[in-house]
Amino acid sequence: MVYTRKHPALFIIGLLLLVHGALIAGGYMGGVQKYLNIARAAGEMTNFSYIFGAVAVVVGLWHWFGSHREGNLDYYSSSIAGGIFILFVAMIVKWYLDPWVGALSRGVGPVIPGGRFIHDVFGLNYVVLGIVAGMVIVNVFSIPDWAQNGVRLSRLGLKSGVILLGTLYSLAELANLGRLSVVMIGIFVLGSVGLVLVIGVQRKISNSMGGVLSAGVGVCGVSAAVAAAPVVRARSEEIAYTIGTILVFGVICMFIFPVIGHMLNMGYIQFGAWAGTGILNSAQVAGAALAFQPAGIETLKVAEIFNITRVLFLPIIVLWLAVWYVRRETAAGEVGVQQVDTTRVIFEKFPVFVLGFILMFALSSTGIFAPAQHYQGRYFDNTRVAAARMLNDNEVATLRTESSKLQREDQKGALNRLIENKKLMSIDDDDVLRGVVNSGALSRDANAALRKAHNAVYHTAPMIAAFRDWITWLFAFGLTGLGMQITMAAMRQAGGEPLVIGSTVGVVKAVLSLIVVLLFVRETI
Amino acid sequence: MADKKSQDIDLHTTETGFRYHRGSALSIFKSDRYEDFIALACALLIALGVFLLLR
Repeated sequence: MVYTRKHPALFIIGLLLLVHGALIAGGYMGGVQKYLNIARAAGEMTNFSYIFGAVAVVVGLWHWFGSHREGNLDYYSSSIAGGIFILFVAMIVKWYLDPWVGALSRGVGPVIPGGRFIHDVFGLNYVVLGIVAGMVIVNVFSIPDWAQNGVRLSRLGLKSGVILLGTLYSLAELANLGRLSVVMIGIFVLGSVGLVLVIGVQRKISNSMGGVLSAGVGVCGVSAAVAAAPVVRARSEEIAYTIGTILVFGVICMFIFPVIGHMLNMGYIQFGAWAGTGILNSAQVAGAALAFQPAGIETLKVAEIFNITRVLFLPIIVLWLAVWYVRRETAAGEVGVQQVDTTRVIFEKFPVFVLGFILMFALSSTGIFAPAQHYQGRYFDNTRVAAARMLNDNEVATLRTESSKLQREDQKGALNRLIENKKLMSIDDDDVLRGVVNSGALSRDANAALRKAHNAVYHTAPMIAAFRDWITWLFAFGLTGLGMQITMAAMRQAGGEPLVIGSTVGVVKAVLSLIVVLLFVRETI
Repeated sequence: MADKKSQDIDLHTTETGFRYHRGSALSIFKSDRYEDFIALACALLIALGVFLLLR
């Protein structure tokens, strides 16, 4: 089978990108950029347009006029067309649709107390809009024939993004979040797998259906369902049912979780912990986290820690399901049930990209990308504070006036050192004063001065900033492509028992994990 | 249930009826493991590029 299509579409997309790059570089889009408030992205828009435009023109000409024969070259190079197609849609959404929706929303004005606009409340950002755009394309227009093969690259983008996320974690951060995530994920993964199995037996679905559904609902969605399938000898249609259930529930969660998070005024860590625990599928965990905090990735980082912890439970779940399945089938008197080599299955199905994440984390912890003690991609250094970023006389006077409101000796000491030096003198002082800000004990002006002092001594390493950009784009690419794989037919496949059982357990897990997060997870770690 | 069918976890046919003879409906690669290694290679290349350009 020859996958390359002789079609001008890729060449035309390339030309459009080159023209777009030239218009941005020449300043002809100034009015649009001003209206959409995207002037800061001009450099990125120009570079991306030129680079990928040139690639699309060259490859597009080859696809259009070249001769193609079946083989690896044809198979892999034909995927470039679909990859560029996803990227093209992601660019339109991220650079134009998302800012346009924001501008329209701001034009309407705040809709809830606290100054939140419609697009904030509903999380209408490039992530959600990208997935919706993908769903509209596949369900209304269908994926063009020339792009079919490359659309399957989206999961590669997501996995690469997850691996690169490892560069952003510090050892201290991971250790703190890791303890919390292992406890929470352990309880909720094992609990939800067990609950699906129990309900499945009561509702009399097949053991293979119950097994694959429990892995999908309990661990990490689609990949867990696929990984557990051979252990419980699931049929293809059972895997498809499970995937449909996970996608339907995950898409609903992806839209609802950020809304609830904003309504409850959850912090980044709280929301990340909740999304990483309560949402079934890895891709939708990332989508919800980015939807909750589109302007930064602190929430995404926390959510991915929880998500990765959940993935690490996969071998345990696979082992459990293998034993459970063999016992159930044997008890039912099935003849010819073969023993499954679980050790081999676990070794074969363990997700290597999780090891990649750990490798990147290890490299980052050596200090190769940023000072090794970096926290959320930023590091403390009070020797590089410019004079303009030190506290001014008014701010010092405000803090001095309010210092009497503090009762604890450590808080008084940290504040006095700040007043004396006009900058923070240690990470410990910063931690103590962040707690003061969170407590709301001081006035708004005093808190503003403390935040200024915090920002002045924390720096973002250029490499970490570059990794953030890469991660953002890899996820934008992967999630837009994911949207192109969510068909209405797959949605309909979720009907019946799997949807009832999966949704019941999913809702229980989401509600209970929300309660646990609100009770036990604090915003400082 | 036929054993062969039970192990057929590669969904070659998409919901729209398009059928692949390589990879699956979700990936162009022959297995999850292979895709993981490619993702790892991509990530390492990006990290190397960032490191060399910005160090």
